[in-house]
Amino acid sequence: MHRRVSSLITGGVMVFTMVLGTAIAASAAMSSAAAPAGLAAVRANCSGCHREISPGHFDRISEERKTPEGWAMTIFRMRHLHGVKLTGKEQATIIQYLSDVQGLAPSETAPARFALERRPNVPDLKLPYHLHEMCGRCHSLARVALQRRTAAEWLKLINFHVGQFPTLEYQDGSRDIYWWKIATTQLPGELAKLFPLQSAAWRNWSDHPHPSLAGEWIVHGYTPGRGDYYGTARIRRTARHRYRARYQLHYASGAALEGSSDAILYTGFEWRGTGKLGGKRVHEVYFASTNGMRITGRWFLTDHSEIGGDWVASRATGAPQILAVIPSALKTGTTQRVVVVGIGLHGSVDLGPGTTSKVLQRTPYGLILTARVQTNATPGYRSVRIGPVHRGDLLAVYRHVDRLKVEPSLAIARLGGGTLAPVDAQFHVIGYTDVVGAGGKVIAVRLGAVPVTWSLEPFNAEAARRGDVRFAGTLGQDGRFLPAAGGPDPKRQFSGDNTGDLFVVASHIDGKAAVTGRAHLIVTVQRWINPPIY
Amino acid sequence: MSGMKSINEKAGLLLEAAESGHLEEVSAMETVAGCATTFDPGWEVDPFGGVASLCQPMEADLYGCSDPCWWPAQVPDTMNTYPSWQEGKPSAQHDWRELDPVFPNTNAVFPKK
Repeated sequence: MHRRVSSLITGGVMVFTMVLGTAIAASAAMSSAAAPAGLAAVRANCSGCHREISPGHFDRISEERKTPEGWAMTIFRMRHLHGVKLTGKEQATIIQYLSDVQGLAPSETAPARFALERRPNVPDLKLPYHLHEMCGRCHSLARVALQRRTAAEWLKLINFHVGQFPTLEYQDGSRDIYWWKIATTQLPGELAKLFPLQSAAWRNWSDHPHPSLAGEWIVHGYTPGRGDYYGTARIRRTARHRYRARYQLHYASGAALEGSSDAILYTGFEWRGTGKLGGKRVHEVYFASTNGMRITGRWFLTDHSEIGGDWVASRATGAPQILAVIPSALKTGTTQRVVVVGIGLHGSVDLGPGTTSKVLQRTPYGLILTARVQTNATPGYRSVRIGPVHRGDLLAVYRHVDRLKVEPSLAIARLGGGTLAPVDAQFHVIGYTDVVGAGGKVIAVRLGAVPVTWSLEPFNAEAARRGDVRFAGTLGQDGRFLPAAGGPDPKRQFSGDNTGDLFVVASHIDGKAAVTGRAHLIVTVQRWINPPIY
Repeated sequence: MSGMKSINEKAGLLLEAAESGHLEEVSAMETVAGCATTFDPGWEVDPFGGVASLCQPMEADLYGCSDPCWWPAQVPDTMNTYPSWQEGKPSAQHDWRELDPVFPNTNAVFPKK
């Protein structure tokens, strides 16, 4: 448990050395497409220390590749520790340029995108165990996996860590292992193999013609605590790396979720947006598919990155297909409004055995139906057919909810106060019904969100004795936990902080039967170092 | 406790507690009540995966973390990286609200609005 929790909450100050060396073929390939202003900005602001070995190839800088967030962290360190003076425009130009000529290919970021999307409570990457010991005790391994370096450059990064944070050897368990020996002889080569500077993926992506993202899009997504949403987006290209988007979205409840954003596109596929959604200020971390037909990712509140939603945008001119069915489960004996989100949905509608449906409205994002499910309909998944297209995994019929799964199963919330906002924890439930399949095997059919009531319980006897439920915070009926105030609390033992070890319990009442599910919530103390990649 | 004799004041108090049936009230302090290299708890969780054995309150030992560069990923170290972090805030217990986060450009990659 300790190890797993640690992997959720590691974070870090260990920003990375601005690196160098011999230039790489990939950056040469990309440099012709990069803005001359970017190269000029690096030359003007970085080459005082990072010698330009050959045109466009800078000592250390050119031996690394990073995400936009990674380069932003490097520049932060250069400013903070080495006194580099940059205007906001110069910084933005350098981040754009280095992300374009020395970024990561889509396939290279894929395993660790959760970190860029700032998804809370996601277990860290699983890498060879000693990397957890050597790196993952302080910050996430995702932070390591989102960089590419030569072996010599990985060694320089390790040397920087030891010089900058002298006690890290103790924290990394140096009394039990030959830390320095491993760090300086074994680790650089291993990291260079796992995360090499040069790769076929980057070479291919560097040569890839990146399509414009301008056009009409069909959107669907899910906001924990609010539910499914859907609608359309219109994206315009306003400059070489800039886009402006307008959103016409709705929650399944009918509430509008309209908005707009301005975005920078880094590395040909990394969308970073700032805008408003449903009246709230948000940031967007999206990724365009290599063919430019899908944009996926997560948006989050600018002042609470732990609160946000999943996002899938599909180009409206794509092949006919069903993208989502909302809601994703229908109860027997009911009549409901159903939205089928998709592209090019024409023809007759069939929601499967035991159902009847009627089209109420055809919209740019799909169909709005009224659907009736017979009382004796057989529970299980249904294949949804609209004209020639069908999907078998988006809709289920059920009689009752048999189980609840509360997600995330383990979450961290943080106390706040003073200059630090608290970190909330957002929970949601997935309902399941059991059906007997072939050979008598019981299959758990996923229903999606079901209505529940929320409550808190102590996680163990010690939490009960400490009164954690009373002190640590409150859980709203939307599943969002709001931590209590930070600081010593004279009402607690030792004037302790309002930390807590809790169960979050969801209860669904179906007739007379109650079904419950629960998750583990740790309410813990503040942290003062909150970089883009923990 | 028969056969044992206290040789300092603290041991005497422990003996008194045992004899008067209040041993449980002091045994809680036998748990890790602060970070120590020996026990190596996390910043956010204790060695048992909970929070009951974290520093209580954390503010009582916060500068004991920032001064020697302990928890450099969570607490700004004043040894090398953020030497003036706690300047003008001599008591973490009373001044914790004034301590600033040290990564001001978390959102540097996004367009400015």
